[in-house]
Amino acid sequence: MALSGMRGLSVFISEVRNCRNKEQERLRVDKELGNIRTRFKNEKGLTPYEKKKYVWKMLYIYMLGYDVDFGHMEAVSLISAPKYPEKQVGYIVTSCLLNENHDFLRLAINAVRNDIIGRNETFQCLALTLVGNIGGREFAESLAPDVQKLLISSSCRPLVRKKAALCLLRLFRKNSDILNVDGWSDRMAQLLDERDLGVLTSSMSLFVALVSNNHEAYWSCLPKCVKVMERLARNQDIPQEYTYYGIPSPWLQVKTMRALQYFPTVEDPSIRRALFEVLQRILMGTDVVKNVNKNNASHAVLFEALALVMHLDSEKEMMSQCVALLGKFIAVREPNIRYLGLENMTRMLMVTDVHEIIKRHQAQIITSLKDPDISIRRRSLDLLYGMCDVSNAKDIVEELLQYLGTADFAMREELALKAAILAEKFAPDLSWYVDVILQLIDKAGDFVSDDIWFRVVQFVTNNEDLQPYAALKAREYLDKPAIHETMVKVSAYLLGEYSHLLARRPGCSPKEIFSIIHEKLPTVSTPTISILLTTYAKILMHSQPPDPELQNQVWAVYSKYESCIDAEIQQRAVEYFALSRKGEALMDILAEMPKFPERQSSLIKKAEDTEADTAEQSAIKLRTQQQASNALVLTDHRPANGAPQVSQLGMIMVPSTSNVDQNVVDQPLTHSNGTLSVVDPQPPAQDHAPAGDILGDLLGPLAIEGPPGVSPQSELNNVPSHEGTLGANDALALAPVGDQESTVKPIGDIAERFHALCLKDSGVLYEDPYIQIGIKAEWRGHQGRMVLFLGNKNTASLDSVQAKILPPSHLKLDLSLVPKIIPPRAQVQCPLEVVNLRPSRDVAVLDFSYKFGTYLVNNRLRLPAVLNKFFQPIQVSAEEFFPQWRSLPGPPLKLQEVVRGVRPMSLGEMANLFNSLKLMVCPGLDPNACNLVASTTFYSENTRAMLCLIRIETDPADRTQLRMTVASGDPTLTFELKEFIKEHLVSIPTAGKPPAPVAQQPQPNIPPIASSDPGALLAGLL
Amino acid sequence: MIRAVIVINDQGKPRLVKFYDYQPVEKQQEIIRNIYGVLCSRAENVSNFVQDSTFGPDTRLVYKTFATLYFIVIFDDSENELAILDLMQVFVETLDKCFGNVCELDIVFNFNKVHTILDEIILGGQVVEMSSSEVVKALDDITRLEKNPNSIVRVPKSISGWQGR
Repeated sequence: MALSGMRGLSVFISEVRNCRNKEQERLRVDKELGNIRTRFKNEKGLTPYEKKKYVWKMLYIYMLGYDVDFGHMEAVSLISAPKYPEKQVGYIVTSCLLNENHDFLRLAINAVRNDIIGRNETFQCLALTLVGNIGGREFAESLAPDVQKLLISSSCRPLVRKKAALCLLRLFRKNSDILNVDGWSDRMAQLLDERDLGVLTSSMSLFVALVSNNHEAYWSCLPKCVKVMERLARNQDIPQEYTYYGIPSPWLQVKTMRALQYFPTVEDPSIRRALFEVLQRILMGTDVVKNVNKNNASHAVLFEALALVMHLDSEKEMMSQCVALLGKFIAVREPNIRYLGLENMTRMLMVTDVHEIIKRHQAQIITSLKDPDISIRRRSLDLLYGMCDVSNAKDIVEELLQYLGTADFAMREELALKAAILAEKFAPDLSWYVDVILQLIDKAGDFVSDDIWFRVVQFVTNNEDLQPYAALKAREYLDKPAIHETMVKVSAYLLGEYSHLLARRPGCSPKEIFSIIHEKLPTVSTPTISILLTTYAKILMHSQPPDPELQNQVWAVYSKYESCIDAEIQQRAVEYFALSRKGEALMDILAEMPKFPERQSSLIKKAEDTEADTAEQSAIKLRTQQQASNALVLTDHRPANGAPQVSQLGMIMVPSTSNVDQNVVDQPLTHSNGTLSVVDPQPPAQDHAPAGDILGDLLGPLAIEGPPGVSPQSELNNVPSHEGTLGANDALALAPVGDQESTVKPIGDIAERFHALCLKDSGVLYEDPYIQIGIKAEWRGHQGRMVLFLGNKNTASLDSVQAKILPPSHLKLDLSLVPKIIPPRAQVQCPLEVVNLRPSRDVAVLDFSYKFGTYLVNNRLRLPAVLNKFFQPIQVSAEEFFPQWRSLPGPPLKLQEVVRGVRPMSLGEMANLFNSLKLMVCPGLDPNACNLVASTTFYSENTRAMLCLIRIETDPADRTQLRMTVASGDPTLTFELKEFIKEHLVSIPTAGKPPAPVAQQPQPNIPPIASSDPGALLAGLL
Repeated sequence: MIRAVIVINDQGKPRLVKFYDYQPVEKQQEIIRNIYGVLCSRAENVSNFVQDSTFGPDTRLVYKTFATLYFIVIFDDSENELAILDLMQVFVETLDKCFGNVCELDIVFNFNKVHTILDEIILGGQVVEMSSSEVVKALDDITRLEKNPNSIVRVPKSISGWQGR
């Protein structure tokens, strides 16, 4: 290709290239910018050729990384040049230099619009490219209709139409109102019939954007997508130029399968069969070949097909085939395929229960942890993390620990965190957990955040059996010649508390413990010194009868630090010194730390948070949400209502820190300064430990009232901001009374969860720190089957589990047996059969209780077996609608009411609301565009299938009121349905209240009108 | 969506920079520096994929080396990694057809033409054409127009040739 060259431009480029260093380059560029600026200032005498040349130079300079803050006007002005070469430069440079909010773009809108509606195709293309690349809001508002016209025009060439499709996509992203969903879905379906592959490819991209936004409106396009797949993958019916290494347009195949992943299911059995046949063909017919490009293309299609199968194959027809393929991929030589194999296996973990099959590949996955490619190592780590459970935790964590020694620095922190989390989540016994964490600190101390060692201390404090073991381990590590400071901290803490349990072992006398810890003191930083001082005080307290020699040594340390410049250390030294002279009195004050209340691990929380952060609005995420109830790990990440701060604060228990020690220490010295008290908190339920026994109770929440003047709240706020640098004494050991949770609080808003489940059939019904209750339902006519998934989130079992259904009179509910005990980390499924006897808005309630430790938790949860679950949306035509409507003349079968205080929403939103309630909006039946007509079939044992018709008349001037007319063949149904819709229109519905007698609006008499015009007919009928 | 297409040489010098969501020039340069830092430390015979938070959340990067050049595409989760590799191959094949065995110097001295070619393949972060022969056809039209700017429309409006496809 010979595009016309520009000598001046080439000379400039080669001069810049010849610059020997960055400094020279900058000089040359500055000179050129000065030159261009001068030339632009005296625009007279500047030929179009020169202007073009300078604008190109500007783009080149911009690409090199220099800010070009002038000349934008010149670039924009070239857009309106009459001749192609100048115009093209104007368009290209403008789209690189300016962002969508730049003022100059406004000046160009007219010129751009003229090119779009003009008759010159080449200009059209340039303009569409600019708009598509920049995509501003103003462009969207002023140009969308013209762009739309080009896309659906039959007289435009494909060259223009394909660009119009993508331009429209960009504008749609900026402002989704530019496409009217109702009308556009038919257009979209037509576009998917397109024969030209270029236009079809662009249209498919547009379609992906539309369905990802709202798949409900585009069900009619689903069969078209399957047709496209058949055309490409089965019939290979495409022109030669669109086959790529012998594969029929892989790009289009990938896009089409991506689009299909936005639909939750494929319901029509024949379409489903056709699609699965194509998918089967792809899965079976792809081999690894020599040619890299061909491999890439064929596997692009294959991986997309795998993703689609994972999404759709709820019946698991092809799932095992997929796992087998992935198992093959993770062992092939081609690194790209290994990478994607691992990544897709991780995805597969999330959506299906193929855990056991994937575990068979564990050895291979561990091998990938040593792959030369860090990208692959990362994927392998993710997969190991995801597939870990109680059965393989020991193997996997030990692999991770081993790998930690040689892993690159970029991965160590992640590795350490993941190993710590897995060790905590799946520890077969606690001493193993302690081993793992100490090894972690030993091998990668720099990468072990404070959270990790806080957690191990918390476990040890709460488990008496573990204390001698942990103290012994800590003692052993101290013998190592060089240990990480974090190890000094954790060992000092543990030995301070529990070294007396080791007293009879060799090398474990108080004196020996003191001296081995004290050896480390010169090498540690200030926060650690504070911990050591506390440890000495505790050791001293435990050496009974007092050992004068040890006493003198410790006192010498304290007197040394009495004048320390660090206030914290100084205070500790002074106070411990004074205290230790009190002899016996010391015993009470420096007694063992009480047990920590059980809380969610900050590590696990942290991991969940990062998962939530990186979750994206992709097909994968949607899929995850749709299947959320299937797996325990997929918790809803929405922060709990008002609760997050409390739970955040409560999570981290900092073992030994100044404030608490101060509290403890302060008391005897200054009696006026607050009182130390162990407060018996609000009992979690009827059942709680007696106050005197509170320390013996692992879970009994404990609170220490801080003296006035200590402001624990502000310091606590620091705690969640971890990242390992947090000094131990910046944080607080025990939560103040106010923050102590005395009852088990649910995670998330129960009401919100219920309302969400009224509209969808699977999701989380209830969650608290111990249990998650998921629900999955299927409805057929007047019957339904719900499955409750009760998942124990803990490492201890839940006891006395009870679930009772309190059914309203209109439902027959039959819950299968619920086991009394849910083992640790297990999930049990309890099917629940539902039969709807007659229409009612009453709601069934699940009375649910369980015991965890001493907590007795009891909740009454509304079950989403609500009226709309027994609807079957039905599209009625004018011929069916009007006779029905007329045959139901007035109350009580047809009721009308003016509803006020309606939540303001656009007609489109209202239509979406209706559709989501399974009331199918029938567009086109009502001649008035402000009105909405919907229909559905209701099923119950009494009424059988019964058609319901609804008409809403809105007032565009006042969105808060509307008139609603509801008709059906059953008076109760009509009434209940009317109230039901009203609840949804007025505000967040409060289902469950019994229907109160309501004065009904008098029904206007309907004069019979004989007319064949449906519009007039409807108007007359109403 | 494709967020950016970048070509840099093995010294880290930018040869083509095109962002589909606007980034100020300093940010562009920072991204390019980060990418270069990551890519030049990668061995041969490793995968073409890099996932690194420095390019922004939720983004992935696919790269491919051709002689002295790195071709880089940054994109989000709505794209398929291997398909992006195909796309790069199509881009390079098209450059090959236009320049005849393309090399770094062709791209340096014809960066404006490279922009024109790219615009025929990617528009607004979406692929507009994956057939390199179709792209070349469109470019031939443009060349003709550049040489003779007065010839306005090449194809009569109602031609049946393309409709029958």
